[in-house]
Amino acid sequence: MDIVFAAFDWSFIWENRAEIWSGLKNTLRAAAIGIAGSFLIGVVLGAARAHRIPVVSQLAAIYVELIRNTPILVQIFFLYFGILPWLGYTGTPFLAAWLSITIWGGAFNTENFRAGFEAVPRQFREAAYALGFTPLKTFLNVTLPIGGRIALPSTINTYISVLKNTSLLLVIGYAELTSVANHIQSVTFRTFEMFAVIAVVYLALVWTLSALVRLLEARLALPESR
Amino acid sequence: MKRLGFVTVLIALLAVGVAVTLGTAAPSREGAQEARLPAKPKLPALPAEIRNRGRWEIGVKCDTPPFGYQDTDGNHRGYDVEVAKQFARWAFGNANRVDYTCTTTASRIPTLLSKRVDIIISTITWTAEREQQIDFSLPYYGAVGRLLVLNQTNVGQLTSWMRGKRIASTSGSIYDRWIRNCFRDTQFQVISSPGAGVLAVKNRQVDAFMYDDAFLVGVAANDPGTKMTAHRFLNVPWGIGIRKGERPLKRWVDTAIAGMANRNMFWPIMRRTVPRRFYSTFRANVPSPTNKLRYPRATTPENNCPR
Amino acid sequence: MQQDPDWFRNVAEYILREGLPTTLKLAAVAVIVSTVVGMVLGTLITIPFRPLRALIRLYIEVWRGLPILVTVLFIYWTATAEVGGFRFELSAFWSAAVGLSLWGSAQVAEATRGAVQSIPREQHEAASALGFGWVGRHTFVIVPQAVRRLIPPMVGLLVNIIQNTTIAYVIGVSELLETANRQFENLTLAGDGHPFVIFGFVLALFFLISFPLTRLAAYLERRLV
Repeated sequence: MDIVFAAFDWSFIWENRAEIWSGLKNTLRAAAIGIAGSFLIGVVLGAARAHRIPVVSQLAAIYVELIRNTPILVQIFFLYFGILPWLGYTGTPFLAAWLSITIWGGAFNTENFRAGFEAVPRQFREAAYALGFTPLKTFLNVTLPIGGRIALPSTINTYISVLKNTSLLLVIGYAELTSVANHIQSVTFRTFEMFAVIAVVYLALVWTLSALVRLLEARLALPESR
Repeated sequence: MKRLGFVTVLIALLAVGVAVTLGTAAPSREGAQEARLPAKPKLPALPAEIRNRGRWEIGVKCDTPPFGYQDTDGNHRGYDVEVAKQFARWAFGNANRVDYTCTTTASRIPTLLSKRVDIIISTITWTAEREQQIDFSLPYYGAVGRLLVLNQTNVGQLTSWMRGKRIASTSGSIYDRWIRNCFRDTQFQVISSPGAGVLAVKNRQVDAFMYDDAFLVGVAANDPGTKMTAHRFLNVPWGIGIRKGERPLKRWVDTAIAGMANRNMFWPIMRRTVPRRFYSTFRANVPSPTNKLRYPRATTPENNCPR
Repeated sequence: MQQDPDWFRNVAEYILREGLPTTLKLAAVAVIVSTVVGMVLGTLITIPFRPLRALIRLYIEVWRGLPILVTVLFIYWTATAEVGGFRFELSAFWSAAVGLSLWGSAQVAEATRGAVQSIPREQHEAASALGFGWVGRHTFVIVPQAVRRLIPPMVGLLVNIIQNTTIAYVIGVSELLETANRQFENLTLAGDGHPFVIFGFVLALFFLISFPLTRLAAYLERRLV
């Protein structure tokens, strides 16, 4: 194996470092917005579903089932080649990039938060009502903090998936890390080395996030579940 | 006297008739040369691996009409595919003895280098940089780069217009290199296929799509909303990609291409793949006994930046 | 090129004829391999032998951590070898199948580990008392019970793998998305690509396949666990 590694020319990595770094930044940019967006969608729609708010709850259910039962790649194509041109959007693929993964992550997160909110023991909410809290106050002060923590593991898994799914955005020409790797190998022909490098980068990102999850779980988890 | 006059006129008419008949045939020099050549050139031996397999494995484009594309029945068609079929005919006597692998601009050379295919006939423009990685056969088509824009876009002088614009092309193409080398103020938007490039222009996601003339001519003709600008650049021929060191294969391919050029076989292929009204545009792009294509070995086209 | 007024029928036929079988084949291979390999690994990781557990843990974390696309691209570009004079290479289909299976088996292994470890201690003790060794105990007592708990997530995994076969589009496998996109591009060059209809059609196909399976998984979860 040593002979094999010596035969690889790794200097091209250094030469192309600007492009690789730019790709990584784009990955993180799209992932950050995707994660934030899926959090917001998840909390709002998850609450609507858990509290069975009419109309919103049903529409959210349709949204969730549509997104969860279709491949994200096809959703990306549908958005980028269908919806955005129809709406007249003329910018770079960046909008389509973060929007598609936000819509995808939001659907999964809706279910995560719904399960979390529904798992909040009934007596906590009843206690809040007894104390005179309005439904909204109950939600903000009781259901959300407790349900959110219950849902923490599943939601963070969704965020990690959102990060991994940024790699699919190369199909619309968004210059994230995998797209950059594909481009560099098409001009340097160092295909194996290039993909080995980005594999290491992705693993580093994902493993760091997973470790963060475990840390947060230990700190924020409810006392009962420890 | 009258009879002599009558015979003279008769002979004159006959002479005119013969001259007209001969004149409307293929140019006499080409016709004579073709007539002299046997139907099949004397080809060297095929490399053993291909011979034993009994089939070619050839990488082609599947998204780039009229060179490599697939119809709704899944059949491979196009100029490059016809060349592949001719190779099969001459190697095995049957045009169907080819297994096609779809390649993109970004994947064609790695597909060749990883030995997934024997050769690539995949709209690949010669560049000195690529020749460090693979061998090029004799040229089999001469492309010119063009810009596709919306009808209402006015492009004056190329260099000044390109500043600050978003231009699309395929990843790893000669246009990719040229734009990144020569137009630093231009935003290069990678697209995954030529069709996606056209869409990007129509959806106003980019200002222009830079690609080969034969593909863009068809697009501009079919689409009343887009046009090609008058600029022509990177007039460099295409070759068939062969792995380095495979000399017998390169000899076979070169002999086949020379044989096809000398027998004027490329032009009928071009005629079959483009509509009649484009014939005059593309005549000069195909090799023939009178039109020899050469790689610009003295220059590096992708570094040849316009002032 | 004129737009054929019958264009949708031709396009739909092409997609269903060329794309659908490939998608189903790819999914089937990936599910079967993932299940077999994953269940074996998931059971083995419960053996209290550090090096083996570390190795399997590494396998799981790597193939779950990488985006499936990166795994597939990596395999596609590196799975060629020359041994003696014999050249070996994985086709695009098999590269995608291996990539999907690596991910799927890591998922199954993790789920199996959870299921096996959730079987109460008493079962192990009772089986040992009856004279079963480690292998016998797991084969006849533990794993069958774990399998019951695994069925809902396995159906979920099946749905996931079916969705993820679209990743094979990127390396050129003629599955549903690739065939649909090919037609979309041909039509675009002929004038109008009809993206809503074509990609909507593909979305509908996947939905029709996946939705019943998702419902089944939910039902099984209520019934079996």
